[in-house]
Amino acid sequence: MAFGVMGVVNLSHGDFVMLGAFLTYWLFTLAGFDPFLTLPFSLIALFFLGFFLQRLAINRLVGAPPIMSYLLTFGFHLVLTNLALRVWTADYRTVKTSYSGLNLNLLGVVLPYSRLATFALAMVVILGLYLFIYRTEMGRAIRATAQDREMARLMGVKIFRIYTFTFALATGITGLAGSLISTTFVLYPQMGLPFTITAFCVVVLGGMGYIPGTLWGGMVLGVFESLTTTYLTAGISLALSFFLLLLILVIRPAGLFGKGIVE
Amino acid sequence: MTMSRHPLPSRYILFVLLTGGIILGTLPLFGLEGYRLRLLSLVFMWVALAGCWNMMSGYTGYIDFGPVAYFGVGSYGTAILMIKGGLPFFLSVFLSGWICAGLSLAVGLPTLRLQGAYFAIATFAAAEAMKQVILEWDGVAGLEFFGGAHGLTLPPAPPEVFFYYVLLFFMGLIVGLTALLERSKFGYGLRAIREAEQAAELSGVPTLGIKVRAYVLASSLIGCIGGVEAYWLTYIIPDDVFNVMRTIQMITMTLLGGMGTVLGPVIGASFLTLISEYLGAKFVYDYLIFVGGVIVIVILLLPQGIMGTVLRKKGWSR
Amino acid sequence: MESVTLLECRRVTKRFGALAAVRDFSFSLRAGEILGLIGPNGSGKTTLFNVIVGIHSPDGGEVLYRGKSIAHLPPHEICRRGIAKTSQIIQPFSNLKVFENVLVAALYGRNLAMRQAQEETERILMSVGLDGLRDDPAGKIPFPLRRRLELGRALATGAEVLLLDEVMAGLTPAGVEEALEILKKIRTQGRTLILVEHVMRAVMGISERIIVLNHGEKIAEGAPEEVARNPEVINAYLGKRYA
Repeated sequence: MAFGVMGVVNLSHGDFVMLGAFLTYWLFTLAGFDPFLTLPFSLIALFFLGFFLQRLAINRLVGAPPIMSYLLTFGFHLVLTNLALRVWTADYRTVKTSYSGLNLNLLGVVLPYSRLATFALAMVVILGLYLFIYRTEMGRAIRATAQDREMARLMGVKIFRIYTFTFALATGITGLAGSLISTTFVLYPQMGLPFTITAFCVVVLGGMGYIPGTLWGGMVLGVFESLTTTYLTAGISLALSFFLLLLILVIRPAGLFGKGIVE
Repeated sequence: MTMSRHPLPSRYILFVLLTGGIILGTLPLFGLEGYRLRLLSLVFMWVALAGCWNMMSGYTGYIDFGPVAYFGVGSYGTAILMIKGGLPFFLSVFLSGWICAGLSLAVGLPTLRLQGAYFAIATFAAAEAMKQVILEWDGVAGLEFFGGAHGLTLPPAPPEVFFYYVLLFFMGLIVGLTALLERSKFGYGLRAIREAEQAAELSGVPTLGIKVRAYVLASSLIGCIGGVEAYWLTYIIPDDVFNVMRTIQMITMTLLGGMGTVLGPVIGASFLTLISEYLGAKFVYDYLIFVGGVIVIVILLLPQGIMGTVLRKKGWSR
Repeated sequence: MESVTLLECRRVTKRFGALAAVRDFSFSLRAGEILGLIGPNGSGKTTLFNVIVGIHSPDGGEVLYRGKSIAHLPPHEICRRGIAKTSQIIQPFSNLKVFENVLVAALYGRNLAMRQAQEETERILMSVGLDGLRDDPAGKIPFPLRRRLELGRALATGAEVLLLDEVMAGLTPAGVEEALEILKKIRTQGRTLILVEHVMRAVMGISERIIVLNHGEKIAEGAPEEVARNPEVINAYLGKRYA
């Protein structure tokens, strides 16, 4: 979404996941909040973080070649990850609630409740985002800006506000995602990077800027990774994922559906 | 007749290179040794690496996010040629350079047709893939070749001074090459691509061919330097020689110093290497935070880098 | 007067999705002539230029230069063979000096060695009147002069055939006169021109032959006076009432 609207690629994306997850962790550990209750906090806190980052830095990059945004956001990534390492140390942490170990046994497949809840909530968020983008006034403004910046501006859309809002929204949701996964994954400061990379692969697969594509891209990549990891090794799986990315970029840069923005 | 040549005439550059070479070359004779010798060698290496990256990305504007791939391949290539092939050091480095040339040709041809942003992603993916391959190859193929995560151990290395001079040579080579390149027809082609690729193409510049040539050149040299480091360190593992932080450093050093300038990588690499020694000694995180901060500040405030801003102030072209 | 056919399009078609920007277009260009290509906005003129010069590949038909097909060659190759164009949206090499902008074209388009390329660049800068600005960064020169830079680059490539896309847009009448003089001079130096223009007075005045495009198809061809009276042409521009 952020890319489609502004042409900005955010390489610190995964770190927002990490921040959301850690926020949940600290709220859980220090204040006893149930992880799922921390969701609104993550959303809002990271929304503001995104807001400030956009206002202070990213807005300056809108006309510049995408490379600059890669570099800038990579700079953010370095700062965020290593600051987190400095402050929170590299220890692994987990969020274990009373229901962490409980599973649902469905036809022989074990489904942990926390993962089910995460999945359900994730779908809710995606649906919510979809509705927002396609059914509301603001969503329309965002889409318009993504399609034709100049025209949108001429029609009265305040471009920079849209940018700021879009990025803040994207960041907020990412933080939310972080909180969601805190129950499922192990937390550590460098956890952001694999997410950034995965998110990237998903977006490129689905077509950059094309929101429905991310859903499919995510599923394709998820299945691909699971299969390769199960039948080969995790390391090979990673290598193959990269080859897949490379392949898509060379053969079909616009993504599976051909609807991505190819600059 | 005043020709609009690049600001610093060739004579000047030659002078700087020679005097610099003589001064640096004789330092060990005047008692430079131990920690300081090693540090300076490290600076030379990074200037050379950043310089290579600059040759391609600084001048064409196509930001390569995967140069460490060739550093790693060069390291492993040299290591294997020396260990399993029993070949002498210089020959191994030379051959590794050629291996990287071939590899970069294979990677560059398809990816350089893409737009800049996609090229960046693609090169990053290629580098990571290569790292994984080296890591996993033995396990999958049931061989004892690359040593997997345990890495490889090379024959014992000659004294530090040897590497000082080898790296000094590479630094001089690359800085000199960059200076030469800048004034040449090839250099204009590169810059035209950076400024306005389609207009360049329409003016007769064979953009794909030039991009590929620059990429292969830079990558081969990076491979050679990787080979030198392998011998220098004596022990290499994938996590070290394929570490993405090397890419980051190459990029940051060039950004800071000034992309597309001859002296940019020299300034940027020297500065950051010295800082890393100072900061990295305590907490490596501090250095990384610093690097991240440098990147952010340079992008926002000083996108031309130090040299670039200096040149711009004086009205000279990049 | 025996004249060589330099450029020939045979039933060239170019589609973008479902839209045929150029449809079944054929024409031939003789050495030394000045051909005017006119038509309402969106009629496919720029697309046609882009196809000839290699930015797009034609979906159908043939493009021949001196008898040889150039239809699927990359632009730099076509440029070297002898066809160059100016663009409506000018992309200068902003961080390079004006001199260097033209130098690139002389080095690569014409494949000259550095010394000769530099001399040629001097000559061209003078002929388009830009040698006063030779050391200025191309990104900083005033907009109207960018057109001249564009022309300078095209000339420096040594191309025989120049496709000029709206080089006179936005010029004052005096500027138009100057431009026409430069174009005539270029022709006497042995080049052949195709002009896309909306400045009617200019293009009708200088062209020996006019081709009219509408919706990607050729609707008229001939001497300027004939074409100006052609009812279909008038229809295309002004609508049926005036035809």
